[in-house]
Amino acid sequence: MVGLSEGEKEFIKGGIAQDLRSDGRKRHTYRPFYVETGVIPQANGSARVRLGATDVIASVKAELGKPSSLQPDKGKVAIFVDCSPTAAPMFEGRGGEDLSAELSGALQRCLLGSKSGAGAGIDLSSLVVVEGKVCWDLYIDGLVVSADGNILDALGAAIKAALSNTGIPRVNVAAGAANDDQPEVDISDEEFLQFDTSGVPVIVTLTKVGKHYIVDATSEEESQMSSAVSISINRQGHICGMTKRGGSGLDPSVILDMVSVANFVSRQLFDKLDSEISAAEADEDES
Amino acid sequence: MEYVSPEGLRLDGRRPMEMRQLRAEIGVVAKADGSAMFEMGNTKVIAAVYGPREVQNRSQQITDQALVRCEYSMANFSTGDRMRKPKGDRRSTEISLVIRQTMEACILTNLMPRSQIDIFVQVLQADGGTRSACINAATLALADAGIPMRDIVTSCSAGYLNSTPLLDLNYVEDSAGGPDVTVGILPTLDKVTLLQVGFHLYSMWLQRTEC
Amino acid sequence: MRNLQLSLNQTQKIRLQTALEKLESLSSKSNSNSCVTVADSIPIYEDGILKGHGTSDRKGELVATVCGVVERINKLIYVRTLRSRYKPETGDIVIGRVIEDYDHTMVFQIYFMDLAVSVEAKASFLRKKTHMCTHTAKENLCSSFKIELIAPPLTGAVHQSLRRRTAVDELNMRSIFTENDLVCAEVRSSQNDGSLQLQARSQKYGKLEKGQLLMIDPYLVKRRKQHFHHLEQYGIDLILGCNGFVWVGEHVEARDTIVVNDSEQLAKKSGGTSMDLDEQVENHTPPETRQNICRIANAIRVLSALGFNVILEVIMETVKLSNTMNLDIHEMLGSEFYVLVAEKEAERRSSLSQKEKVILACNLRTKF
Repeated sequence: MVGLSEGEKEFIKGGIAQDLRSDGRKRHTYRPFYVETGVIPQANGSARVRLGATDVIASVKAELGKPSSLQPDKGKVAIFVDCSPTAAPMFEGRGGEDLSAELSGALQRCLLGSKSGAGAGIDLSSLVVVEGKVCWDLYIDGLVVSADGNILDALGAAIKAALSNTGIPRVNVAAGAANDDQPEVDISDEEFLQFDTSGVPVIVTLTKVGKHYIVDATSEEESQMSSAVSISINRQGHICGMTKRGGSGLDPSVILDMVSVANFVSRQLFDKLDSEISAAEADEDES
Repeated sequence: MEYVSPEGLRLDGRRPMEMRQLRAEIGVVAKADGSAMFEMGNTKVIAAVYGPREVQNRSQQITDQALVRCEYSMANFSTGDRMRKPKGDRRSTEISLVIRQTMEACILTNLMPRSQIDIFVQVLQADGGTRSACINAATLALADAGIPMRDIVTSCSAGYLNSTPLLDLNYVEDSAGGPDVTVGILPTLDKVTLLQVGFHLYSMWLQRTEC
Repeated sequence: MRNLQLSLNQTQKIRLQTALEKLESLSSKSNSNSCVTVADSIPIYEDGILKGHGTSDRKGELVATVCGVVERINKLIYVRTLRSRYKPETGDIVIGRVIEDYDHTMVFQIYFMDLAVSVEAKASFLRKKTHMCTHTAKENLCSSFKIELIAPPLTGAVHQSLRRRTAVDELNMRSIFTENDLVCAEVRSSQNDGSLQLQARSQKYGKLEKGQLLMIDPYLVKRRKQHFHHLEQYGIDLILGCNGFVWVGEHVEARDTIVVNDSEQLAKKSGGTSMDLDEQVENHTPPETRQNICRIANAIRVLSALGFNVILEVIMETVKLSNTMNLDIHEMLGSEFYVLVAEKEAERRSSLSQKEKVILACNLRTKF
């Protein structure tokens, strides 16, 4: 991480105060971003999202498992994030584990809802094959290939894109099995079920620098932040999860203000993301 | 199991001496000094090079040549079945070592004394021949970073199944349990820098590969 | 053509491709056979050549050890790499960042990457005709040269009197530069043992403030007579460092850092405790200047991502193009503008090709 001189720090902060950031963006403008789907053919669904110089890949793998005894009517979803050392030498060895754990935790909170699975962006009950016996376990893996700030939003977008790219094989359950036995299942090679991803929220991170907060901070801007709030919001404008990072405290009224800004920004983000995803899928079909 | 059909075609329709499709791209990681993505069929790896730069751990500094380091990591989603323990297992340590030694042999390390070159290789998809793909990607990334080298190393694997020598094994052929070799070659100098042989080989044959 | 974080639609792809092909056809006449990759042999036309950077001897044959363009200067043959760290030459204007400052020693970073090769400059008693404080290289950490930094003139009085370097000077030095400060200097000489001296000849050199630093590939900055550009119509200083560090900042009349420091301190004193946030805002760069800074910075970003030479005329043309199209500053980083700039550049070069030798980097070919 390059340090910044006082003059540059002042320039960045001044730019945020004047609503004109170093690369010419306003406080609430995103960098251009691109979605590519189906990058990992071995997975059930995958997507690569590039946001400026930030580059992340998300993949979804589905495996058959057994539902937990507490929620027999729900499947399971787990999110893991890995920071590749290609993104920064600092992630070498175990160096990326802290950040990976932080990102996985934040994503779980933002996308998966409570422990019981209520309020999750993904409809967990759609993952059940035979109640109490067989369900799909979804493993969502994120990989940070290149990092230039705002990794969490990029991962959130990549996961949303990967989920909409995911096809889960249709499962035929052999009829007539005894009640206690594990039923025999037959996984179809041809028929795939698509997910309904309209409920999957997007994540908007507002980074507070000085008196103002900005979306989609670059790593230089992130180095000047006092705190950052990540808010996940669904299509209806409901808040699905929230995480605060950074040392300094925030006034509750500021948080409320941030929520309304995030709500506004998320609508644009949804539109942009949806059009990018459909463009990416059209591209994939072509090739 | 039959890996080569009577017509002389392999499971994926290739001829025994045919390689998979290759694709390469440089400059895929914005912040690295050099980077490359390399695909051999479904195997897909990214390599990033940082350096030459100041040695991070002073005790490792070598006064008359550069310190070359390498880390190989596999993404959780890279294999057919999801991996659970991605980092630091013995296989990755071994492959890191192999890549490091192969690259050290071709980098002109004596031109960059007291410096450090880091090579990070990330496997996005593994479908056999990851070692070779990693070496090819690492070379491209080093060339992209403008690091002086003796030659471009190229690497490929080969195996022997159904009494037929096969070039560039995919995952199914690789796990069939036949003998396999991984070769790294400096094509212009005509030298072998890497040779790993698994299982018995009754007769030695080396398949020249030029990417 | 690296790091192009773009997704182009079909027509944009075709347009970009055509523009690049046009550029390539323009350049291939001049130097198509001088592009080499690792281990390619370099033809020798005369005896007694000197082997330069990026070449080595193999069984009496001269071969390249890096990818790049073969350059021949008299008997010297070397390979100019497209993507490697900066190699200094006398008279180069460079921008560096102070990365460490400890024990009479300053470490400067003048390279593209963070944690790049750094250079230690140790305070010494060397005196030069007009320069008071001299920092001599003690040890170079990585590459084969040392760097000596001759400090920018401190104050007028010190500037004229050639007095011995004392601890006070060192303290002065410390008060001017702290860690992470950006400093602009000139490469004074590089000596036989590979050592290198940096100097700050006049007041235009020195610490850089109020602006942004861009790091681009050093090969994109061509050595020219003028690297300092004061763009009066915009009120901006543009410094194209030969090491690939480009400074775009508010125009500063005098760069006498001591004076600046003093006035800042005075301002702080006069402001006292009553200085609130509103007053701070007044210290900010004026909005118009900031807009210009950002627009120029984005023009440089676009050009460097496309692998075009970053020279003043091209930058200004790109800025003009964005202005005539009424683009918002941040829209300059969108795909459409990249394609337009590539087309414009192809046009410009084809009109220039008669007069000027066009050297197009072979990295244009790698991706497309």
